[in-house]
Amino acid sequence: MSTLDVAKKDFLDVRRAKIVWFVGALYVLFMLLLIYAGQTGSQDPNILYSLWNLTAVGAMFIPLIALVTAYLAIAGERESGGIKYLLSIPNARRDVVLGKFITRTGVVSASIVVAFLVSAVLTLLWYPETRIDVLGGMMALTVLYALTYVAVAIGISAATASRSRAMGGSIAFFFVTSVLNVLGPLQLVIDYVANDLAGLEISTNQIAFVQSLVSPTAAYVNSTGLVFPDGFNTIPEELPWFLQGETMVVVMLGWLVVPLALGIWQFERADLG
Amino acid sequence: MAAIQTTGLTKRYGESVLAVDDLHLTVEDGEVFGFLGPNGAGKSTTINMLLDFVRPSDGHASVLGLDAQADTDEIRRRIGVLPEGASVYDRLTAREHLQWVIDTKDAADDPDALLEQVGLSGEGDRPAGDYSKGMAQRLGFGMALVGDPDLLILDEPSSGLDPAGMQEMREIIAEEADRGTSVFFSSHILGEVEAVCDRIGIMNEGRLVATGTLDDLQGELDLGAPITLEVATVPEGLDLDRLTGVRSVSVEGTTITATCADPSVKVDVVRHVASATTVEDIVSEDVSLEQLFNSYTNGERAEGAADTEVSA
Repeated sequence: MSTLDVAKKDFLDVRRAKIVWFVGALYVLFMLLLIYAGQTGSQDPNILYSLWNLTAVGAMFIPLIALVTAYLAIAGERESGGIKYLLSIPNARRDVVLGKFITRTGVVSASIVVAFLVSAVLTLLWYPETRIDVLGGMMALTVLYALTYVAVAIGISAATASRSRAMGGSIAFFFVTSVLNVLGPLQLVIDYVANDLAGLEISTNQIAFVQSLVSPTAAYVNSTGLVFPDGFNTIPEELPWFLQGETMVVVMLGWLVVPLALGIWQFERADLG
Repeated sequence: MAAIQTTGLTKRYGESVLAVDDLHLTVEDGEVFGFLGPNGAGKSTTINMLLDFVRPSDGHASVLGLDAQADTDEIRRRIGVLPEGASVYDRLTAREHLQWVIDTKDAADDPDALLEQVGLSGEGDRPAGDYSKGMAQRLGFGMALVGDPDLLILDEPSSGLDPAGMQEMREIIAEEADRGTSVFFSSHILGEVEAVCDRIGIMNEGRLVATGTLDDLQGELDLGAPITLEVATVPEGLDLDRLTGVRSVSVEGTTITATCADPSVKVDVVRHVASATTVEDIVSEDVSLEQLFNSYTNGERAEGAADTEVSA
């Protein structure tokens, strides 16, 4: 399997990249800090609130880890010319994209899993109730969320010819789908375009659905209803099917497949001069 | 079967740039073919099309009888490539590079033997980021040799190498050729082509302006055979150009250079000059490839030479 040959070599390479270790360690540290802060000074700390905060802050932090780990995967090699070594031996272009996706996925997932494992241990020590089910569920959703951004970064990396363009594309995507989503303007724009310009008169829920379609961050935040108890914090008791956690997981899976497919398609037709 | 064959191969970038223009090129099996031309002549674009890095706008290319675009996997199994201007992976050692290529090609080579062959023994466990340009080039060459390829495609193989390194590379190319490997390599350095190639092709401005053996090309061009004499004093009224077969004469200080239509005329030149003055030194050269190259790429070629295409 040449996809695996590409992945094996890329793993050798990327595991020695300091920036990847740095960003991964930063995430672990950041999560530990939240777990610590959630119980300090509290008589009856609840891990659910700490995890809730993690979702909110992680919504913007996770994409950064994923993008930094993956945005140069292909564009960087195209600029340095290393891609010519890769494609001079029996590797198809598709193998290059998928192989790189596998390694970057592995690296990002590993740092999230490590962060959750350490957090689980600390939760056992510091919190009255551990809620392994919620921790495990959040870990799974967070890994899936991170992978959507890895897929996007790999897709952008495969479709661009230089480091600077890959970086520009990744930052733009992050800004629109994550920053603008968390801070609010994305929702307002959808509302404005759909209701004021197009006159569709769609409901708040429908706006939230469109928002989840265009932003993996929104889909991730809306998916957390799957693992938190019904009605916890701001999670509504009743939601239409298209805003249920299951639907959000499907949306995120879509964000895995589509950017990769587009990236492969672009990369296969590119001139690598 | 031809090692490489292109028919009407053309690459256009946008509307105005014609990087490769209607290239018809055949490299026979077992041949060492030197692909010459100044920078920007279209050599790398041609090689990139052979390797499916760049897609032709028109025409067709086959490598080892296989379609260069459709059968890339099979082609990449059977060829060895040294790409131009490609950087090795800074964080991987030479041994890891070679092992990776060996694994991907399902080959059975020994990395140490390859390291030794390209002159990197003892350096195999250092990360390639610490290598000099020449060492990185040697490593790239080692990667190209993995799996005993039927065809080596080397794009500017001597770039970054010192003269000793270039000499070693030529020797390895010659060894590979002796074992029946076809070799196609591009260069803008003429001496290296002269030393190892069975045939050469000259590209200029996207067109193949000449192909043939060195002798063929010299014959076609009819550049003449130069002879240079160092004399004590240049005598008056030498009238060397009146001698039959002498085409032109130039005098610079005490150096007389005559260009003869035929090498056999050289001896007449020497006799004639020696009868008038003291000859201190005689330098007789073949037409240098450089001269040949310049005349093909500057557009001052002999008209109607066989197997040459006249560019518009």
